[in-house]
Amino acid sequence: MQGQLIILFVLLPMTAGIATVLLHRWRMVQNVVGVALLAANVGLALYTLASLYQGVDADGTPLPGSLFVAQMGNWPAPFGITIAVDLLSALMLAVESIVCLAVFVYCITQLPSPLRGGYFHPLFHLLMLGVQWSFITGDLFNLFVAFEIMLMASYAMFCVGTTPSQMRQAYKYILLNLVGSTLFVTVAGLLYGQLGTLNMADIARIATTPGALPATSIPVIAMLVVVFGLKTAIFPLWFWLPDTYHTMPPALGGLFAGLLTKVGAYVLIRVFVMIFGAAEAVTEVVAPIILISSGVTMFVGVLGAVSMHTVRRILSIHIISQVGYMIMGIGIALTAGVVTQSRELAVAGAIFFILHNMAVKCCLFLCGGLMADHAGSDDLDRIGGLLRRAPWLAALFLIAALSLAGLPPLSGFFGKWVLIREGLKGQFYILTGFAIATSLLTLLSMLKIWSYGFWSPPSGDHAARPDHRPRTAGGVAAIAALVILSLSMGLGAEQYMNVCRSAARTLVDPTQYIAAVLGREHVPDPELAAPPTFTVSTRTAVRSTRLGRADTRPGDAP
Amino acid sequence: MSVLIAVTVGVLFAVSVYLMLGGELRGVCMGALLLGHGANLAILASSTSPAGKLPPILGDHVDLAMLVDPLPQALILTAIVIGFAVQAFLLTLLVLTWRRGRALTVDDLAMDPASQGDISDAAASPEQTS
Repeated sequence: MQGQLIILFVLLPMTAGIATVLLHRWRMVQNVVGVALLAANVGLALYTLASLYQGVDADGTPLPGSLFVAQMGNWPAPFGITIAVDLLSALMLAVESIVCLAVFVYCITQLPSPLRGGYFHPLFHLLMLGVQWSFITGDLFNLFVAFEIMLMASYAMFCVGTTPSQMRQAYKYILLNLVGSTLFVTVAGLLYGQLGTLNMADIARIATTPGALPATSIPVIAMLVVVFGLKTAIFPLWFWLPDTYHTMPPALGGLFAGLLTKVGAYVLIRVFVMIFGAAEAVTEVVAPIILISSGVTMFVGVLGAVSMHTVRRILSIHIISQVGYMIMGIGIALTAGVVTQSRELAVAGAIFFILHNMAVKCCLFLCGGLMADHAGSDDLDRIGGLLRRAPWLAALFLIAALSLAGLPPLSGFFGKWVLIREGLKGQFYILTGFAIATSLLTLLSMLKIWSYGFWSPPSGDHAARPDHRPRTAGGVAAIAALVILSLSMGLGAEQYMNVCRSAARTLVDPTQYIAAVLGREHVPDPELAAPPTFTVSTRTAVRSTRLGRADTRPGDAP
Repeated sequence: MSVLIAVTVGVLFAVSVYLMLGGELRGVCMGALLLGHGANLAILASSTSPAGKLPPILGDHVDLAMLVDPLPQALILTAIVIGFAVQAFLLTLLVLTWRRGRALTVDDLAMDPASQGDISDAAASPEQTS
């Protein structure tokens, strides 16, 4: 595959966005264009992931150069705009593209027609453009631009068909994100003043060179936690989320829940694990913040979810709780004294958890939407007994809900299992305790929806109108696709985890990323800067040390 | 000079926070505008001082070390364009809010009857009508 082709991840949604603006009078054409380009996007993402994973050796270590890099306008790396797709980006893109396609199918079949008319389509594609751009961008300023495109589209989506009460939430959402973006651009500017570069690989090179990171840049970098924390909705920056997401139509709620906070989590991994992971001056400041925040985030989030009583509110506040697990992995990986293997596993667990959560969370929101279509409300007091009425929906919901709670062999279990095991190994006993307690309470809150909504005797609007049958075929198909994706993550957990682990390995040791973007001569460690000599003998040597349960690999710091 | 810029940035940030917390929707829009200006000035201040340097125009006999770094200015330009778009969006939203609910402050929006009752009603109503 040609490396330059990765620009298609930006071009495809951009084309779709512009085409659907011009076609806003012809809804059918908009639908066809949307589905076609989204399907092409899924194909491209899966193809990219497959061809990247071919560059991984038997040991799971990506070989040098198994990374797609494109320099825009052929400007050399730290000066021009770099886009790069490594395994982490490819994984995110693969799951994100599938989620987008499923939500799109749900939207064009289930959304009430005033909402999906005319300009809904361009907004959808431009939102996706922002998300995909932030997954592939190789420098911090472009990340800001990608965030802005994503947020702009999300602001507008927020206001599609709003009631005045939603307007109030829209202002809250817009202002908070505006402050976050302004902080981001300020921090980016200050960081440029300190380091003279905004290219991620170049910053990583500076951070991995001992003593090259100026001490004054540490507070600036720590501010990035605030910027991305606000996007990810971690404690104490989560307050905007439960008030805003539930006011949207469930389909859009699903899209936002599935993508936006996960972009924040992805960026936290990219910036703190890959770029600054090796800079102890940064990690010793950031790691305690992230660890404490992750414990509080997951626990407070789930307590909120248990106390809520409408489907959308429960799910919205649940997003926060799940974010806690993702950043728990990041926190463990950044803590000093954790061996490299544990670091890798913790990051792999976090990546796996993000992928699982994108699919499952979005799926649950869509289920909530169909429940409301059937029952006329999503207040748990006013719906009940949907099991008889919509058995397929009930079955799909149950799988997704148990998967979110983390019951084996469903996908949520494996991400949590790896994270909790690494937490115990690293002696984070309190945090791990919180993680387990949160898991139990998640099960409780999911069972609440199940027992009130599906299992109880029929009640509410739909009981009085047994003939009222909303059309839900498209919605059920979209949900089924997401459930299948989630099931594949659970049943094929080993394969998924291997890919995640290979992705994590390139993040914990960013040498290859730096070499691929900047050129091999810029790699700080002279030993690793030597041209790749992956002969059979070195590979066997690597494998034999690993079989001997050694915690370090040759070339790793003890 | 840099002290002056730093103080200006501080004042801009302070004024914009004051305006945004005021709860008056027009003030909120103004605050967002000023916040962007503050950020742009901060980027300008953090780049190297332009004193005694040449504009970044390449010629035959130009000493590259004497040129001003053009990148922060490019960053600011991009940020200005984005800020402009966000500002336009906020003003549109302001007009829309006024047309829909005759609301000019955050409190007016809170007084709206739809937000007092069950929010799920208000949000679910378009689905029921379909």
